[in-house]
Parts: sequence; structure tokens; C-alpha cells
Amino acid sequence: MTTATAPSHPLPHTTTPAGERYDGVIDLERVKAAHRPLYTARESFTADGNTAAALATLQMWRALIFAGFPITPSTKWIETVAAKVAAQGGHRRVKLLEAEHAVADYLVGAAAACRDLIFPTATSSVGLDHMTETTRSLGASGLGNVMIIDVYRATANFPLCIEGDPSDTLAHRDDGFIQICARGKQQIYDTVIQAPCLGMHPEILTPTMPGFYGIKDSHRSARLQVEPDAEIHAFQDGWIPPCTLPGLINGDTAMGNCVTSRHFQGFKLEQKRRMEQVFEWLPRIGDDFAQRFGRPGLAFYDEAGWPADGAVDIAVVSMGPDFGTFEALRQRYEATRRVRVAGIAMRLLTPFPREAVRRRLARARAVLVVNQAHHFGRGHLTLDVADALDALPGAPPLVPAFAGLGGADVSSATWEEMLDEARAVAAGVLPGAPRIYHEGAAL
Amino acid sequence: MSGYKEIALKESCFRPGSTLCPGCMEAIAFQNVGRASDNGKKTVFTIGTSCAEVSTLAFPNVVAWGRGDAPPDDFTKSFAILHNVFESAPTLAEAVRDVSDVLTEIGALEAPVQVMATSGDGGALAIGLRSLLHTIHRRARVTIMVLVNEIFANTGFQYSPATMPYADTSTTPAAGETPGNLEPPLDYVHLAIAAGAEMVAQVSPAHGKLFVKTVERALECRGTAVLFVPAPCISGWKFEDGMTVELALLGARCGVFPAFVWERGKGGSVKDCPREAAERPPVEEFLAAQRRFSHLVRRDRETGAAVVVPGREADVARLRAWVQENVERLYRLGELK
Repeated sequence: MTTATAPSHPLPHTTTPAGERYDGVIDLERVKAAHRPLYTARESFTADGNTAAALATLQMWRALIFAGFPITPSTKWIETVAAKVAAQGGHRRVKLLEAEHAVADYLVGAAAACRDLIFPTATSSVGLDHMTETTRSLGASGLGNVMIIDVYRATANFPLCIEGDPSDTLAHRDDGFIQICARGKQQIYDTVIQAPCLGMHPEILTPTMPGFYGIKDSHRSARLQVEPDAEIHAFQDGWIPPCTLPGLINGDTAMGNCVTSRHFQGFKLEQKRRMEQVFEWLPRIGDDFAQRFGRPGLAFYDEAGWPADGAVDIAVVSMGPDFGTFEALRQRYEATRRVRVAGIAMRLLTPFPREAVRRRLARARAVLVVNQAHHFGRGHLTLDVADALDALPGAPPLVPAFAGLGGADVSSATWEEMLDEARAVAAGVLPGAPRIYHEGAAL
Repeated sequence: MSGYKEIALKESCFRPGSTLCPGCMEAIAFQNVGRASDNGKKTVFTIGTSCAEVSTLAFPNVVAWGRGDAPPDDFTKSFAILHNVFESAPTLAEAVRDVSDVLTEIGALEAPVQVMATSGDGGALAIGLRSLLHTIHRRARVTIMVLVNEIFANTGFQYSPATMPYADTSTTPAAGETPGNLEPPLDYVHLAIAAGAEMVAQVSPAHGKLFVKTVERALECRGTAVLFVPAPCISGWKFEDGMTVELALLGARCGVFPAFVWERGKGGSVKDCPREAAERPPVEEFLAAQRRFSHLVRRDRETGAAVVVPGREADVARLRAWVQENVERLYRLGELK
């Protein structure tokens, strides 16, 4: 009745107040046996980010229903899923709903109906905003089997910009999802495969929101290596045990109840505790993935240029594919400016890995934080980094900057301009107010 | 179909302890639906935020749902309920239906579940009209029960798209020259038919046998069954408690919300509400029983007769005309197949 390879885990803190589970009502082995594999051997080809994310979801035996609603730049995810499901036949369904809000509601009902299945969707920008009323319910629901893939795009419709900046995902920091940023097609594919292992972990039970930059990653193609479905199943089954909590179908339960303020706080406390378990389990899942597939697995951030002792003049904190431009120019910049420069590209956005970031940045002389989402203060990332460094005696000064707003490329010249300002701060100049940089100039 | 007596002896999934007003029609509906759904199939309810939700799903206070004092040994008697935001109930139900169906197709679930969505008229016809109509449009095999109390009761008795003309609500107050709500209500029965429902009914538990029979048919329906339940609200309509069923019966018989059952391919019929106004109780009797219409009709203290407030004769005449049109409309809808 259950996956033989799944480890047993203790029952987590209660996420719903009532419930009896009827064992054996849902035969998961039959679900697994009904899976029609997409790949039976490792293959390599060229794909864009939406396709990479779609393939990863399609390869999971636990994903039977794919709900969705199109919005640029995530549309190709549901199109790809629909095309593959139509071609493959079988019992899987593509569920086309009338709006993103309906998709989110549908995910609640489906995931609550059977906690052992995975229910993915993809959206973007105002689509994610439209889901908000329910994503905040989902975040607190304990339904870690929901995965919303967010293809980043600016949220404002005035002016409307369909290119990718992460202001959508960063505006949803408190929805209660585990938010992981991926860059590059391979990392997108790999992240989507690992995300449910984290969300459905019995001590976490929190929905996931893997994401990647619209257009830059969603629409541009690169080499992608896909793994055989059976290998993915073995990996996921090792991390996803049968859920011990009752679902609507196999349980006698009430979910989504009203509570008094006193108990509301208890629920929030539990939600936060579950979320913070991500710090414990994400690296382990990432390590297991790396061992099994030979590629880097989930991590708090990607690193570039760090010396063994961690001592640098400028530490860069950023996210997304524009970090690649920094990586490309970093050594040249070090050589020409005679400074030591290293950087991290954030992968885990929520919960923000405070301890790990603090340790990484502790010996920097200045920290340049490159924010790519509009913010009326110092920037979402800056605030998180400041929070991380808060408890550090003699914390390095922060140099908050904005670049790549609306999905604009962060050019080499822009990186150099921002690094020059951070270099001055590292030399003792007081940091100024945050500025927006574009094409090598501070606007 | 079960007999009425047989239904009454079944075990309801609605339990004591809710904080609904004593005599609330919603509780009466839940009791009856709860019994009718004790039919050998596992039952799942979904519920949007509403009076019905905040008064029955309260942790750590009473969760007034489930069959028996403890989860039953028999899985088919087990019960599960899911609440999410106001407008979500039909979509939630559709999702549960789909998961159950896919698992059944695969052979991973031997006993498919029956699913019922519950909303108030605010949740279904105002903020949730999108959700309601699209779930119907997709022909989801679920039963959708809409408890129509004609107001947003949960937030303090404000106007809803189902509010009948001239009603005094928190946001359409009858004051001075303003005679309460001036908007005709949404024709939700027709909308549900037009959207593709397999079965549409408007009936309250005041018509006891008809109600449970309709619920049983709805649960067996092969498409979407939509059950609008007129639900007199003691606090919002401002009537004496103990009169709920009487008022629901009167409202149906005088033509404000006639009992009506329609099935695709068969057509439908109005029950217990003659087409001719002269053969029905006067609407003034219905109005006089509620203080939400006290600016139009009051009961004479000496004779007990319903008397139109001087100066409001034209308003009451217009209301009578609306009631007649309401009845005519349902008779015409009954001819649709």
C-alpha cells in the first residue's frame, strides 16, 4: 500500500485539529504502477526553463492532475504539460481553470483530498497576486504537496512589463511558501524535482514555490540533462513517506477551521517552526541529490570566488541569472582593482537562511546587495541580509543597490559601477542611499 | 430513494454544538443533508467562509461535523470537511471530485466519495459567482448547496445580489424616502441552468419530503447539481425565532422563492405555488412577519392583519408585480429542457 523505500518519520506537530486516517483506502502502489515514464534513460537536449520545469513535474508519479491558467511568461509550462499528457494518454489530467485564484483554490481541494499526491502549477506576476487570498491559506495549511512554480515577472500593471524581475515572488515572502530561486535550465529542472521532498517532509509540511526569472530563463534555451523517471522516483520516494495525517478522502477530519486569537498564535508558531525545519533538511536533500545525480543539489545559495578563510573586500549578494555576468567579470575586476571579490546568489529566499548568510559574509569589508525588485526602502534582499548580519559584532557595512528592474539585463558595466561603489565603502567611505543602476550608470 | 421516515432515522454528519442561531434554517438544512448523505458513500463537504462555517468549524471549540462521537469504524460513514475562502467552495469540491475520480480510474480507490460544496449567497452569487458558474460550466459531478439568506449575514446583514427588493439591510437601509434595496436580485436559478447544471432546485427543508428527495437526487446526479436553499435569517430578517420553517413555507408559497426542481432533459416544475396570484397567500403576510420590511407593511395590533404603511402603496404594488414576475419566470424555466 505504501512506498517501500520511504523512511518512517514521527508525526509532526498537528496542523489540523481533528482526524482519523483510514489506512489502505488509497493504494499508492497502484498510482505508481500507473505512471507512464517520460524518460527511461538519461538524455540531454536543448530546452527552455518552462519546458525544464514542465518535464520535471511530468516525471513525478505522484503528479496526476496539472491545474493551470496561462500568463506570460509561465504559459509554456501548462502548454508543455498539456501536450505531453495528450500525447502520452493514461489517467493524468490537465485541469484548465478560469483564473489563477481558481487554480489556487483547486490546489487546496486536491492536495487536501490526497496528501500523498503532488499538485503542481505554474504562474507569474499578477497571476500570483490573483492567487494571494488562497496562497496565504495554503501557506498555513500544512499541505506541503502543493507546488506553485513562479516564473518571475514584475507585478505592477502600470506600467505593464512582461520581462522577468522577482518582484512577484518577493512580494509574497509572507505567504508561507518555501521559496527557492533557480537560475539556468538545469537548476530549474533539478530544483523542481527536489522541492516536493522538502515541502512534504513530515517535519516541514509546507508548500513550495520554486521560481526562476521570466524571459531570461523561461524563454531562453540551454542544454538540459534529464534523468530517467525511475531514478527520480527512487530519489523522491526516499524522502517522501506516506503522509500520516488524514486527507479528505482517506480521513475523518475537518480542515481550515476558525480559531480564537489565542490558538491562532499557536498555529502561527507551529507554522514558523515547520518552516524553519527547512534549514535542517534542505542541505541534506541537496546532498542526497548531488550524490545520486552528480550535479549540485539544493543549497542556501550558490557561491563564486570565496577564499578558504572567507575574507574578502567586497561580498556580493544577488540572485538570478545576472549573477552569471558577475561571475564572468569577477576575476578581471579583482585583477584590475586589486581587491578581493566574492559573491553569493541566493537560492533559498524563504525562509531566509540567516545563519548561513551571516557566516558567509562575516569577514567581508563591505557587502553589495543587488536588488532586482522594486522596493520603497533598501530592497527586499537588503533587509534580509541586514537581518542576518544584525547579531554580528562589527558587521560589514551594506551597500544596497537596485539593478535589472523589470527584467533588464545587468550588464558588465553596471556590475562594475556597483562594485566600484562597494569598493569605496570597503575603503571607508560611508554608504549612500540606495540607487538604481542601468547600463553602467547610477540613475 | 429512501422514504422520509427512513431518512429521518439515518445518522447525520451534522453534530450538536454549533453556534448557529437557535432555529437557523442552515442548521435544519445541514441536519437533513447530513442524513440524506448517510447512504453508504464516504462524504466530503467543502465550505466557503460564511455563517455556516464560522458557527460550525471552531477550534478548539465545537467542530459540529462528523458521524458519531468518534471517527466511525466503517469508512463509508466517515466524513471530512474543508473550509477555504468565501468563493472557493465549488472549486474545492471539484478538486476533491477529480482526485477521487482519477484514483478510482487507476484502481487506487475502491470506493469513490460523494462531494458537496456549501456556500452562502454572498459566497456563491457575489464574490464567488465566477467560481460557481465555472464549476457548473465544467460539469463537475458535485452537489453545490447555496444557502440563500439574501444578505451577507456573517458580516452583519449587508446587501447581497440575492436581496429581494425593498429589503432593509445594513447597506441598503430603509430611511426617509429611501425604501431599502432597489436592485432586483440576480436570477441565479436561470444562471445555473444556463451555465450547464444537470439539476437545479430551489427548495428549503420547510418542504421536508421534497427537500430530502431533492438532496438524494442531487447526490446521485451525473453532472453538477445546484441546490439553492432559501434560508430565512432570524437576525437579519428580524423575525421571531421559532418561525423559521413557517416563514420559509410562506415565502415559497406566496411566490418570493417558490419551490422549484429542474433536471436537464426533463424540464422542471414549480411546487406548491400556483401561477395565479389570487391562489397564493398575499405577499404582505410574508412581509409583515419581518421587521426588514416594516417600512412597507406592518401588522395591525388589534386585528393582526398585514397593513401597508401609508404612503408605501406604490412600493408594495411594485413588489407584488416583482413577485408575480418571479413566479412566472420559474414556470417558464420549468418548460426548458
